[in-house]
Amino acid sequence: MWRRFRRSKLAVIALIYVAAVAIIAILAPRITRDPNAVDLASRLGPPSAAHPLGTDDLGRDVLARLVHGARVSLSVGFAATAIALVIGSFFGALAGYYGGAADWIVSRVIEVVLCFPFLLLVLAIVALFGPSFLTVLVALGATSWTSEARFIRGEFLRIREMDFAQAARASGARDARIIFRHLLPNALAPVLVSASFGVASAILVESALSFLGVGVPPPTPTWGNILATAEQHIDYAWWLVLFPGVAIFLTVAAFNIIGDRVRDALDPRSD
Amino acid sequence: MSYIIRRLLYAVLTFIGITIVVFVLLHAVPGDPITFYISSHMTHLSQASLDAIRHEYHLDQPLVTQYLYWVRGIVALDFGTSIADHRPVIDRILEKLPHTIELNVIAFILAAAIGVPIGLWSATRSGRPVERASAVLFFLLYSLPSFWVALLLMELFSVKLGVLPLFGMHSDDYLDLTTAQKIFDHTRHLFLPVITLSYAQLAIFARFSKSALTEVIGQDYITTARAKGVAPGRVVWTHAFRNALIPLITLLGLVIPYLLSGSIIVEDIFQWDGIGLLYFNSILARDYPTVLGLTVITAIVTLLASLFADMLYAFADPRIRFEART
Repeated sequence: MWRRFRRSKLAVIALIYVAAVAIIAILAPRITRDPNAVDLASRLGPPSAAHPLGTDDLGRDVLARLVHGARVSLSVGFAATAIALVIGSFFGALAGYYGGAADWIVSRVIEVVLCFPFLLLVLAIVALFGPSFLTVLVALGATSWTSEARFIRGEFLRIREMDFAQAARASGARDARIIFRHLLPNALAPVLVSASFGVASAILVESALSFLGVGVPPPTPTWGNILATAEQHIDYAWWLVLFPGVAIFLTVAAFNIIGDRVRDALDPRSD
Repeated sequence: MSYIIRRLLYAVLTFIGITIVVFVLLHAVPGDPITFYISSHMTHLSQASLDAIRHEYHLDQPLVTQYLYWVRGIVALDFGTSIADHRPVIDRILEKLPHTIELNVIAFILAAAIGVPIGLWSATRSGRPVERASAVLFFLLYSLPSFWVALLLMELFSVKLGVLPLFGMHSDDYLDLTTAQKIFDHTRHLFLPVITLSYAQLAIFARFSKSALTEVIGQDYITTARAKGVAPGRVVWTHAFRNALIPLITLLGLVIPYLLSGSIIVEDIFQWDGIGLLYFNSILARDYPTVLGLTVITAIVTLLASLFADMLYAFADPRIRFEART
């Protein structure tokens, strides 16, 4: 698996990049100045020795805000995907293990969720319950579990008749035990790695929400809200447009590339 | 035909599911819905008149009864009146809808016209450097945040080069222009939003058509055609190509919710006066009847599109109809 993953140089670079961003995000308060330190004397300053990536409309250091923004992006990305995985595993396991009526009902539920334009539903939930870190997480998790559910369902269909599952059943284990102790751990590994796509999409949507002004509320720095400031000063402050966009793009692309490579590495036909 | 009937029944179930989701959303919010409808403009109402309004909107009835009244309204395209201007929600939506359709149809055609041929072409170059490079390129394209692309386009074409307008659907002096000038002016305003909407779709179309053709090329009848000496170009273009196009029909249903999501961002950035902008402004104004009305309508449009796509698919590929019968 790892051997096959490593074959793609691009995927390895993406993995190193993600690890670097994660380390920077964790160390953020130690390695940069205060991202919320307002300095009206040096507002909208282009990149300089004091502020390598310039300052925003309140004179706040863009580099510090970018580095702290990584914390929001990564934590929303991972947490929202974790929520989606929990919901998706639950429905996917029900459908895959019991089949029949359970499978039919779960399929109908997924059809309903897929009918809603993703961003519309997320915006509606965030608007109805008020924007906050938690609402963004719940809105993203509650709307993006369908692909995880389908993945888990497929894995369950594949492994539920395997010897170890039959053995568990023969030894008199209850359904819940078979599902959670025997089947889920075996189905989860390939799903966990492909959740990379989920992280990419969550980061993208979180930054879109912040950009639109309905994401994690200010003054918390996010990549999206730096771009929202950039929109107001587009005729002048190019550095506000460029750097946060590059950060979002590279991070989303990295997770997408990792997901794509993992999917190929898991696919026995790709050899 | 049983497939089509079953599919229609599922669509009815999905419709019920959609309405339940939105109804639950409406009622999951703290306070009862009447507070949305009145708080903004009638703060002086007495308890008696509040009760009267509750009675009028059936809010004193059990939830199930309320739900049935609400669904009956939706079927009759009655989504209540907007808090923003007290006009029926459906009128406001129908007024903005043509602008969104215009933008999306142009972007859709552009993306399909470029993306599908590129995808099909790269499928015939499978494994070669050019195919792998284009796969990576599409992946990167797909990872670009649309609002950032929009800002970069504005920065380049409107600020630096000054050749295209920053935003809006037409210039301020639009009404004084001749018809030809009006068309020219409007086209200029279309450029940036259309590019922003179509680049990611283009990647989707390319990937999808590539995998569809790759799938077909792996089939036995293609091997047969090759084995009996049909020229390689002819194998692809007459044997594989037509069958690869069939799965593209499903994209019709898949791409619509994606387009509507994209419209919110693009219409907001470019101040394009369509339903995406209406939706976003309604969210900011806490105009819940409009928000929920648009949520229901867009979900139903998606449902109808995927229903239509499935019907078309069953029509184009008889195997679907036969499989359903066994």
